[in-house]
This record gives sequence, structure tokens and C-alpha cells, in this order.
Amino acid sequence: MTEQRVLNLHDLRNLPRETTTAWVTPSVRSRVEAGLGFTLRPPLQPLPSGVQTLVVIAGGTLIDEAKVWRLENAPLVKLIAVPSIWGSGAEASPIAVRNRNGKKDIRIDPKLLPDARGVWPELAASVPTPRARMACGDCWAHALEGFLSPLAGDPLRLEISKLIRQMLRLPLAGDPAWFELSARACAGQAQASVGVVHGIAHVLEGALQAQQPAGDWNHAKLCSIFLFPVMRFNQQASGKWQNLLQQYELPADTILKVLRELFDCHAFDLAIPALSVHWMDILRDPCTRTNSTTVRPSSLDYFVGKVFL
Amino acid sequence: MKNRDKLKQLLMDIFLLSETEFRFDLKREEIPTWDSMGTVAMAVGINETFNYHFTPAEAMSVNGVEDIIRILESKGIPFHD
Repeated sequence: MTEQRVLNLHDLRNLPRETTTAWVTPSVRSRVEAGLGFTLRPPLQPLPSGVQTLVVIAGGTLIDEAKVWRLENAPLVKLIAVPSIWGSGAEASPIAVRNRNGKKDIRIDPKLLPDARGVWPELAASVPTPRARMACGDCWAHALEGFLSPLAGDPLRLEISKLIRQMLRLPLAGDPAWFELSARACAGQAQASVGVVHGIAHVLEGALQAQQPAGDWNHAKLCSIFLFPVMRFNQQASGKWQNLLQQYELPADTILKVLRELFDCHAFDLAIPALSVHWMDILRDPCTRTNSTTVRPSSLDYFVGKVFL
Repeated sequence: MKNRDKLKQLLMDIFLLSETEFRFDLKREEIPTWDSMGTVAMAVGINETFNYHFTPAEAMSVNGVEDIIRILESKGIPFHD
């Protein structure tokens, strides 16, 4: 789905140290220092002259920040993105989603795509179990909403359907294979669009973080929680959901069972008041408006009433 | 429900218009939420409601509510009920 170069750990180790610098997330700092030996610098700060390659080893938030930073401040510097956790697929996408004043700033530009993405499977071991599970939900949201998008054509749906079958074979837990599948899911949805799961996540993340700071509300968690309710909504709203899955020989019941496993009823209940307050903002979100079925003002009742259960 | 009423409700929901804002002679440029994403949502909604799938060319050629009715009527979906 993408012509982006893919580098393994051996390739990363062979990058010239004198012209390469790295920005890393704190959770992998010691591992990067021991494994790669790059000069680490504080993220989003000016680079010294002579730096030709910037390696960012982090989650999607910092990778997306780095993509925009590079475009605006150092367009000639080569950017290599190495995800420390799967799910966002930021390393493989020309889209950058940044948090600004509690809202999402979304930019789309081919020049935002990193020059290469790195795969470092051992980093999967450093991901805590609950976070790993949510990252799987993020990946599932990209794959399913990209597959169902009204903007997706047959070749893309065929490719994503193969990806979904591979995802079904993986546990909802830390597994290095998720890195590759996540990158492919994100590259796929970048060619189509996503749907109301992302509309909800984009609008509610900032609001819930402000209301419930201890709740660890993030994009992956919201995708994980709302994926099952939204897919049931799509399924019940029109026959398109079932027809598309049948057409591409995807097992609807098995997929729904996976999504049900991701669903956290307690967290959903905590999010419902914010969902009600911000529903009209969610309807205005561009992602919601490319949902595979029509989302209406009255659709809120479906979620609040937990009709999906 | 008559087709005119179905279409009115659909477009009010998709473009987030109130009862007083909606008119059957509304033009695309009068509706701020009728951008490219709004066109996608409109095409999805028309398919669900009237079981007719706009071609991309048809969807892009629509410049107002009357154009939607004209296209649907040409496909045998009556609006004089």
C-alpha cells in the first residue's frame, strides 16, 4: 500500500552516527542508548548543523509532531520513524494528528510521510499489557473503518480484508507482528478515510482528559471502547456492513467477538456524559461524515441506550 | 413517509440544519456543512434511504436539493407523492 522504505534494526544500527540524531520517548530511552548508540536530543528542538537524518523512536503522538516539525523546520533532513508501540500507524501515514488546546489539529500532506519507517520488534516487550490491548483496538479501528469507508475502492478493500484475516490470528496483547499490521492498516485507511469511531475519539479525547485526568484517556483507549458499539450501529443501520464483509469473505461473528473483547463497559459509562454533551461536535467531525452509514443527531440514543449490547 | 419528507429529514440530519433553515430550493453554497465530506455523507444517506447509489460524477454535479430530486426522479423515484 506504500512505497515507503522499511528498515530493520540492522539497518538502523548502520546509519552514520555523525550525521544522525534521535528523538525518543522516555520509556525506550535506555533501550535505544544501549541498542543504537545515537546521540539523543530533546524532541522538537532545533537540530545542530550537519544532521542529515532524524530518527524518531516513539508512539504516534511524538511521531506526528516530528512529521510536522520536520516539514516546517528541516525539510531537507531525512525522517525515519520507528514506533515504540503499534496502533497509530503514524510511521506509515501522510496524516499528522496533533493535540492543540484540547482539540485535534489534523494535517494531510504527502510530504508528512516519513522517508522510511523502522521496525524494532523487541520494543513490543516494553509495552505494558493494558496499553498493548488498547493499541490493538486502535489498529482494528483503522482497518475496519478504512475497509468500510465509502471512499474505499475494491482493490483497497481486498488488501485490507487480507490484513484483517491476519489480525484475527493475533492475540489482543503484545506481539511484535502488530507493528507491521498496524503500519499497513494505517496506510490503508489513509487512502480512504475513517468513520465515527475516529470522530468520537478526536472530539472526546481532550474533553475527557480535562474532566477525568486520572482516566488515562487517549486515542487508542477511545477507539477500543467505541469500536464495538459503532460496528454494531453500522451493522444494524444498513445491510452494507454485512454485505461488504460477506463479499470479502470476512467472518462477521468472529470480528464482532474480538471487538466485544475490546469493549470496556465501565469506561464506556464514564465516557457517555461527554458523548452526549459533544455529540453535535462529533457529527461535524470530518471522520464522522465519511462513516459507512449515516450518523444522525438521533443516533446518540443508540449509544446512550446501549442498544448494541 | 413521503419521499419529499424522507429527503428533507435526511438532509437536515446530514447537514445539521434546523426545520426553519431547510428549503427545497437550497443551494449547496448556502449550506456551510455541504463540503466534500458532506457530499460523501449525502451520497451514503441517499443510498440508505432511496436505495440509489450516486455515481461520483452525479454526486459532484449536485448543486442543490432540486438537483438531488431531479436525479432521483430520473431513476424512477417519485417526488410528486
